[in-house]
Parts: sequence; C-alpha cells; structure tokens
Amino acid sequence: MSTISIEDEVIDRLNAILGEDGAVLTNKSSRFNRARVPAPFPVHRWEEFIPDIVVLPRTAEQVSQIVKLANEYKIPVVPRAGGTGLADGAVPMKGGIVVDIKRMDQIKEIDLVNNTVTVGPGINMQTLNRSLKKHGVIYPDDPASYACALVGGRIGTSGLSLLGARYGHTRDLVISFEIVTPTGEIIEVGEGGGRKVRKSSTGYHLKQLFMGHQGTLGIVTEATLELVPRAEAEFAAFFLFEDYETAYKTFALIAKSGLATLGGVMMFDPEKVDYLRRDDEAYIIQPDWVKAVCAASLFGTKIEVEVGAKKVMELGRSLGGRYIGDEIAAGDWAARHDRYANPLHGRDKDGKVVPMSWHCEDAAVPYSEVPEVLRKWHEIAKRYVDQYDIFDDWGAFQYTNGAHKPWADVLVEIDMGLWEDRMDEESWQAFVSLKREIAQVAIDHGGSMSSCHGATRAGDAELVPTEMGASWEVMKTIKRALDPNNIMNPGKQSLDEAYEEVTA
Amino acid sequence: MSNEHEHNESATAPTAATAATTVDLGTPQFLGEVEQAFVEKWHENATGCFSSGHKFCREVCPVTQVTRNENHTPTAFHANVIAMEKGHLTVEDVADDYVHCTQCGGCEVRCPNTLMVGDFYRARTETVKVVRAMRAMLVDKGLDREGWKVWNRLTNELKNEPVLGVEGDSPNAQAQVRDWAEGLDIPIGGDTIMFVDCEAAYYRTSVPRATAQILQAAGYEFGLMNEQWCCGGPAGEMGYVEQSMAFARHNVDDWRKSGVKRIIAIEPHDYVHFTEDYPAYFGEEFDFEVVQIIDLVAELIRDGRLKLTEPIDRVVTYHDPCRLNKRKGIHEAPREILRSIPGLTFKDVDRVTQWSYCSGGGGGLPIEKPEITAEISRRRLEKASELEVDTLVSACVWSERPLTAAGDEAGIEVKDIIELVAESAGIEIGGRTRA
Repeated sequence: MSTISIEDEVIDRLNAILGEDGAVLTNKSSRFNRARVPAPFPVHRWEEFIPDIVVLPRTAEQVSQIVKLANEYKIPVVPRAGGTGLADGAVPMKGGIVVDIKRMDQIKEIDLVNNTVTVGPGINMQTLNRSLKKHGVIYPDDPASYACALVGGRIGTSGLSLLGARYGHTRDLVISFEIVTPTGEIIEVGEGGGRKVRKSSTGYHLKQLFMGHQGTLGIVTEATLELVPRAEAEFAAFFLFEDYETAYKTFALIAKSGLATLGGVMMFDPEKVDYLRRDDEAYIIQPDWVKAVCAASLFGTKIEVEVGAKKVMELGRSLGGRYIGDEIAAGDWAARHDRYANPLHGRDKDGKVVPMSWHCEDAAVPYSEVPEVLRKWHEIAKRYVDQYDIFDDWGAFQYTNGAHKPWADVLVEIDMGLWEDRMDEESWQAFVSLKREIAQVAIDHGGSMSSCHGATRAGDAELVPTEMGASWEVMKTIKRALDPNNIMNPGKQSLDEAYEEVTA
Repeated sequence: MSNEHEHNESATAPTAATAATTVDLGTPQFLGEVEQAFVEKWHENATGCFSSGHKFCREVCPVTQVTRNENHTPTAFHANVIAMEKGHLTVEDVADDYVHCTQCGGCEVRCPNTLMVGDFYRARTETVKVVRAMRAMLVDKGLDREGWKVWNRLTNELKNEPVLGVEGDSPNAQAQVRDWAEGLDIPIGGDTIMFVDCEAAYYRTSVPRATAQILQAAGYEFGLMNEQWCCGGPAGEMGYVEQSMAFARHNVDDWRKSGVKRIIAIEPHDYVHFTEDYPAYFGEEFDFEVVQIIDLVAELIRDGRLKLTEPIDRVVTYHDPCRLNKRKGIHEAPREILRSIPGLTFKDVDRVTQWSYCSGGGGGLPIEKPEITAEISRRRLEKASELEVDTLVSACVWSERPLTAAGDEAGIEVKDIIELVAESAGIEIGGRTRA
C-alpha cells in the first residue's frame, strides 16, 4: 500500500494537463489492473502494489507537465507500456502516478529514403510491421512477446530480439528516442545528435545510458527506429541430439560459423525437452533418445540463405545431430516451444496438472560457463520443488546473446512454474530466495543476472550493486543527479540507496 | 483456497495507511451470494489468464485498439474476477470495464491457452461468456447502463429492437415486421422459415429482400414466422437474460406451432444465438436445424441451383464478420461465393489477420459507446482503403450500418454479400440500404 497521499488538487491539475475525459483514472479497477505484469505476483499482497492515479497521456508535453507536477508534490511516477515485462519494471512499488503510454501509439513518419520509422512508444511491433509490410521493410525487434509488447517497454527493458544475431536487439534497432527526464525536460537521445544517425563521436553516448532505464530515468515519448529490408528468404532447421554435450558443441559450431545471415542459434536442455514432451501424445511422438535440441535460423537474400542453409545443415549434422525434416522441425518443435508458458503444463509433485504461472529467470553468461550454470540452476530448482509443492522445473534454453556477434556469450533462461493460486507469504519469500540464488550463480560465473528482462524485482534488485561492482557508485550518482527527488519508479534495482546516503 | 479463508486472512492483516483520498483500498469486501457463485464459476478460467498473463489478446481486441485503456482488455476482464474473489473489487467497481466489449471473440481465438494446447486439453479461454455473465449481474443489481436499459425496455414493448431510433414514433413495431417483404409473396410457416433479424427487417431491408429472392430463384422453399419477435440475442449479450429467454421461448413456440423443422439465420448474431443460446436455454427440446445463409447460398451456387450471370464490375475486399469468423469458424463459404461472382475483382485479406478487425457493431457497444463503434469502423475502412477497393463486402447486417457511415467518409461503398449475389443473379432487390 502506498503511503503517498494524493490531494484532490493534484487530480484537478492532472485533469487540466490531460484535458480529456477518462484520461485521469482514480477508480479502483483502473488501479488494480495496473499493479502487475505477467511474472509471478504476490497476489496475497496485491494492494501493496497499486498506484494512486493512472494517467493516459497523448503527448510528450503532457508527460513533461505530469512529471513536473510529480516533482512539485514528490509523488512517485511509474511509466507503463504494454505491462508485458517479466521483471516488474512497470509495477509500482510505492504507489504514485502510473503514466500509461498506450495512447501514444501513432506512426509519425515513415522515411523510406533514410530507412527509419518514427513512432509513439505505445505502438506494438506486430501492429507496426503490418503497416510497414507494403513498403517491403520491417522493424525486426522480435521478442517472445512480439504480439503484445510495446516499443516504449522494449526501450525501458533494453529487450532481446530472437533475431538479434542478424539484426540486433532493441538497443541497436532504436536509433534515437525522445525521453522526458525525471525533472520533466524533454530531450532527444541518440548516438550523438541527429535523430536518424546511427554512429557519432560527439558527446557522451546518452542513448545507451537511457536504454534499459526501467522507468528510473524518465519516460520515453517517441522513438526513431531502424527499417530493415524484409528478408527475401528464411531458413530454420532443428537438430536432435542424444545428449546435451553434443548439442552444446554443435551450438558453438553454428554460432561461430561466420554466416552473416544467422538470425540466432537456440537450444533446449534435457529438462526442457522433458517438459515439452509432457503432452507428447497430442503431437508427433519423438523417439526416447532425443535429449537435447539445437536449432538455427537464417534471414537474408535468397542467394545468401540458399548457400548458408547448406552450411547450417552440414554443421548441424557434423557431430551426430539428426535433422528431422521441415515438417517436424517447423510444425513440431517450434510449436512445442510456443507452448512454453502455458499454465496447463504445470504439474504438481504427483504429476497432476495444475494451472501454473510462468517464471522465466534469464541471464547472460559466457559460452564456456553455460553447462555449469545450468547444472547449478537445476540443482537449486530441484531443492525448491522438493521443499514447496508450488514450484515446477520447466527446463532451460539457451540463445545466442550478442547483437551481430553470436559466437560468444549466451542468453540462458530457466523456466519455472509457480502455482500462484496456492501462494502464501512463506512460499512467496521462497520464490524470491530461489530467484536470488539463480541470479547469484550467473554473477559468480562472470555473467549478468539478466540479459533481457531486467533486474528490477525482488530477488534480483538486491544483487544489482554486487553485479555492478565499483560502477554502482557511478550509477547512483547519475540517478541522484537526474532524479533529485527520486520520483521515477522508486524502489527498483536498489537505487533508493542513492538517496539514503545523502540523507544519512 | 477458500474465499472465506482469504477474507479472514486479509481482515486480520490490515495494510498500511489508506492512500488516495477517493477510495479505501485496504479493506477486502465480502462477496454476496451472486458474486460468490460468479467467481467460483469463473475461477479456473480466470486463473488460466491471470497466471500466465500473455496478453496476446490485446492488439487483436477492437476496443483496446481504440481506447488503449488496460481496463478494456480481455486480461482485465479476467483479472477483475480474481480481484473480486480476493475481495478487492466489487461488481460496481468493474461495471464500466465490461461495457467495453463487442463480444467478437478475437481474444479467445488468439489466447495462447486456446491456441497452443486448447485442443489437447479441451481448454478454451472463455471471455465472451464472462462478459455476458458480468453484464447479467449488472442488470440484477440495477447497475446496468442507461442506454441499454432504454433499449431493452423498448425491445420488450415493441417485441423487436428499436433499430429506427429510441425516440419518437418510428415504424418499428410488430405491425411493420414483415413490411420488408412487400410484393415478394412469401408464405407463412412451412418446414423451413427464414428468420429476419431486427436490423434487416426495419433498417437494411435490401438484405432480407435479396435473401428471399435468391432462395426463390433457386427454388428453395421457405416461409416466414407467424409472429416474429426479436431473437432475444442482443438482450442476452447486454445481460438481460430473462428477457432473452422469454423472447426465445416465444419464437420457439411460434416455430413449433407451424411445424417448423429448419431455421435459416440470415445474420451471424442470430446464428450464434440459435446454435449456442437457444440450446442452452431449452436443452434437448431445441431440436431444430439451424442453417447459416452463407453456407446455404454457397451450396446453391455450387450445385448450380443459383446461376450468377450478371457481371459485377467492382473491386472488393471482404470483411469477415466476427461472429462468423472468430466465433463460428465460417470463413471459406463467403470467399467461395465472392469468387463465383463474374466480373468481380476480389482482394482478400486472410481470416487470421482479420481476427483483429471488427465493425464495432456487436455486443451492444453502439448503444452505449457509439463513438468507439464509429472509430472501430473508421479503422476497418482505413484497412480497406489501403487495398484500393471501391467496395467493402460484409455478411453481417449489424456491421453494415457503422461500416457504411465510415465508408461514406472513406469513399468506399459497403455491400452485403447477399446483395451482390442477388445483383449477379439478375434480381431487382428493392428495399433500402439505410434509413
């Protein structure tokens, strides 16, 4: 529960700023529905996470005035885009004003000469691409939440695209953006100046400072995005393996192949394969020997992809991987993976189907560390599954992590089921502790505890100072300088520490 | 976990000081009997959404596309159930949310829980039924919206919907229910009757006229009801369940009296009501065959019983009516019909893309939120404009009024598929396409 008291005067002034009926919402339903994101949520403490007011602005100027007002009254401000993030970035920790930017969803300019599109942050990628299709271009930011995530949230989390090896991730695909700073100034951040410039040596590279800001450094109000020629040809192949080790080596062979058209390399570990076979009878039954899966995709011109596909086939089979054909590959394993987060796949200890919430713990770790990290993660998971009958290990997958550089570090994710319906405070704390242990392993192995979701929720947030090391001081200094009143999304990433020291 | 337990637990653990000046968020409420039954019935369904929270439904939701308000999303409709269960929200708190739905069913087909494993687990996220159940509670509690109240009171008085306006003396009563059929010489009763919904009977009379004349041309025998009342479907969609059932009862009795065996639904909403609501109301007693006109006409053309000879010189695209495509899976027959019309240039948009299209004309939305309906239709016409067509063809008379209004702005004519078929069969349709 928020301890902020919102005065009627604030509501009146917000109404004056927004100047539209239904754009300042104080009713309970509006607030309860903006308390959570799809990640597991302490339902038993729902009321602690609800904002006091929700506003639905349409312009940067409105956002600026809202933030200035919030500074005047020292009211927390939490930006919310799709609310599809998995790390609570959009969850209000201390009440305040939720600035829901979904109405800022216009396509402002399609520049086919300079290959950019300028949009409001409330637009969804699939919706945008439907409009771009006729121009032969695409904005290739492709997360698992492609159909529902919004551009503003992608910038807020510095998200990962499944086509990142080929086209880059959000941080690479957003050329520049407009952001309202924590004190309400409207600024443009890019590589240097120039909204459509991809590389510059002028000034600090502020774009990447604000990229992944998780709402702690402002509210994005416009973005200029990369337009990529639509791929003329695509290719995807799935290879099956009898053991993890061979799949893991094959993953590296393809990742290091040097193929410029490589969209990404992905693999499922044995626990993930077991999980995806839970309703095998509904699909094509796979032989028992299948213990791991490795897949690769290519995107590009026909002439490149045709040649590249041969190389992928050769590498995929070189250590004994078995290609299982287009139909099974595309129609089965890909479809299986699409079911990854289905609540109907949850099982209790007796194997009974129970509706579980999906928790996905992601990390970026060097390739060499992956097997050991996964071993430790599953060990941790098992401990919690055994102790509390509300958890379920849904296996792990790994994905090439670096934009345009697929050959080194790896995104590793372990999916866990969590029976939210049965959760009480004890099991919630167990979940937080599970998260913390998993995150610590990634840090211990020279990785980052989050490649794509953000370290904004309990279990991760406490470890941000550890992971950042000496640079944590710089981070706090920046936060304090830009947000003197700590109004932007307070309570996230341990950043409140920046203010404790000042007042101490 | 029982709700009682939940309440006790929350009651003994008061939370921090009250936040906003407007409402007290900290004290969970106890549910009344009706609400308790509601949350129990929908708990599992709501949990499937709440716990996974994919939100893939949002961008296909025609209302969400326009209002961009998270309260109007299907996910909110389910989250509200959980919040009510936990005692955080009351029916009154969420009443307005559930007004924002056309019951198109796009969210249900797009839901990963339905799409990915629904067939295997026999699971389908039910959102339309939740909206309807909530609206029924609104009516029970006197929380129903003013526009709907007036509309359904007048429907109850007139025995058909006041489609020509809720004010004044429009020729919109039982005395005029068969006026559209003037000069067509259609018998009353028989094995098969054509059920003409209110919008077609009073507003876009060209549609029933075209339909009747096509069937006559094909030698397909049918009659009209003795006394046709509204199907009762819209009342059901807006939460007036008793009224909906009373109207259904009347119609079924009327069919029984004339020995009717088969009902032709010329309109998708009626088709949904006859195939879903009527069987739910009457169980096994409901043993009528229900035929959708599009399926029937496609069959008549296929069998050569209906000859399409007149070329139609139009460039068209097809609007998949939500209740045919998303609710009932009927999408092939209308395309088959359009491809059989000589002279027509047909620019198709696949049915899956059209999961996110709508006219905004369903679920009582135009009565309560006409501005949202108009914007949904405007966007639908915008999509049609991009295809550079001169005509948007629909197969749902309820969609055609808002689409026509938007079409007037966009310079695109809106036609019913049956009107085009009739023209191509050389039939002088008569009637009118607007008031």
